[in-house]
Amino acid sequence: MSEVQRKKYSDQEKNHIFDQEFMPHIDSMYNFAFRLTFDEDDAKDLVQDTYLKAYRFINSFEQGTNAKAWLFRILKNSFINDYRKKSKQPAKVDYQEVETYYNSDDVDYTHTTDLRADMVKDMLGDEISNALNSLAVDFRTVIILCDLEGFTYEEMAKILDIPIGTVRSRLHRARNLLKEKLRSYAQTMGYNTDEEE
Amino acid sequence: MESNLSSAGDKKVSCAEQSKCFQLLESILDGENIPEGDKILKEKLEKCEPCYKHFHLERAIKELLQTKCCHQITPTDLFENIRKNIQEIK
Repeated sequence: MSEVQRKKYSDQEKNHIFDQEFMPHIDSMYNFAFRLTFDEDDAKDLVQDTYLKAYRFINSFEQGTNAKAWLFRILKNSFINDYRKKSKQPAKVDYQEVETYYNSDDVDYTHTTDLRADMVKDMLGDEISNALNSLAVDFRTVIILCDLEGFTYEEMAKILDIPIGTVRSRLHRARNLLKEKLRSYAQTMGYNTDEEE
Repeated sequence: MESNLSSAGDKKVSCAEQSKCFQLLESILDGENIPEGDKILKEKLEKCEPCYKHFHLERAIKELLQTKCCHQITPTDLFENIRKNIQEIK
C-alpha cells in the first residue's frame, strides 16, 4: 500500500466510511473481478480480499475522496499479485513493459478496420462480451474501466499505475483489437466488411 | 482541394492529421475535458469523412459495451461474508 497514512479514524468513523463509501461499489467490484478471473469463486475471493485490505488500510484513505478508484486499484493489485499467478490462463505478454520501452505517446492512430457503425449495432450481448473477454487482460482492463465503469483517464492512470499517455495509447490499442474481434463476428453474420458504405 | 472532397456532403475524403484527430475524437468521446471540445467535434464531423466514420464507430461500440455487456449478478452471500471477515479482524 503506497498511500501516505493520513489520520487515525475511530472505529465509528471506520465503520461509517466502510458502509457509506466502500460497500456501495460492491456490484462494480464483483463485475470487474469476474471479468478478470472468469470464475465466480475466484471473483468472490478477490472482492472479499479487496474489502479486507481496504478495511485494514482504511487510514490511508482520505474520507470523501474517490473511494471507487481507490478500491479498484487495490483489486487490480491483488489480482496481479495473487490471482493472476494461479490463473489457468496462458501466460500473457506484459504490455506495460513493452509500452514503457517504446514511446507510448507515438502510438499510431491511423490504423482502422473496415468495420462500420451500422454493423456493430446489430450484434448481441454475448458476441460483445465474448469479444471483450477474449482480449488480453491489460487491454480488457482499460476498456472495462473506461467504457463500463466510466473512469476518467486520470483515474485510470492512478488505478493502473501508468502515465496518462499510456492509458490513452493502451485504450486505443485495446479498441482496435476489439474491433478486429467484432469484425470477425460481422463477417459470420454475412456482412461484407471490405465493402464501402 | 477538389479531389479531397466527397461529392455528397463536401466532406474531406482523407484526413491529413488523422492520427491527431482520432486521438482527440476518442478523448472527447470518453468525456475528457478538452477545451472547445464540442466545437471541434462539430467541425470535424461536418467536414471530414474519416473523422465522421471513426467517431460514429467508436461511439457505437462504446454504447454497445455499456448496454449489452451483461453485468454479473453479485452473489448474495458476498456482502455477508465480507461483514463476517471484517468482524473477525477487528
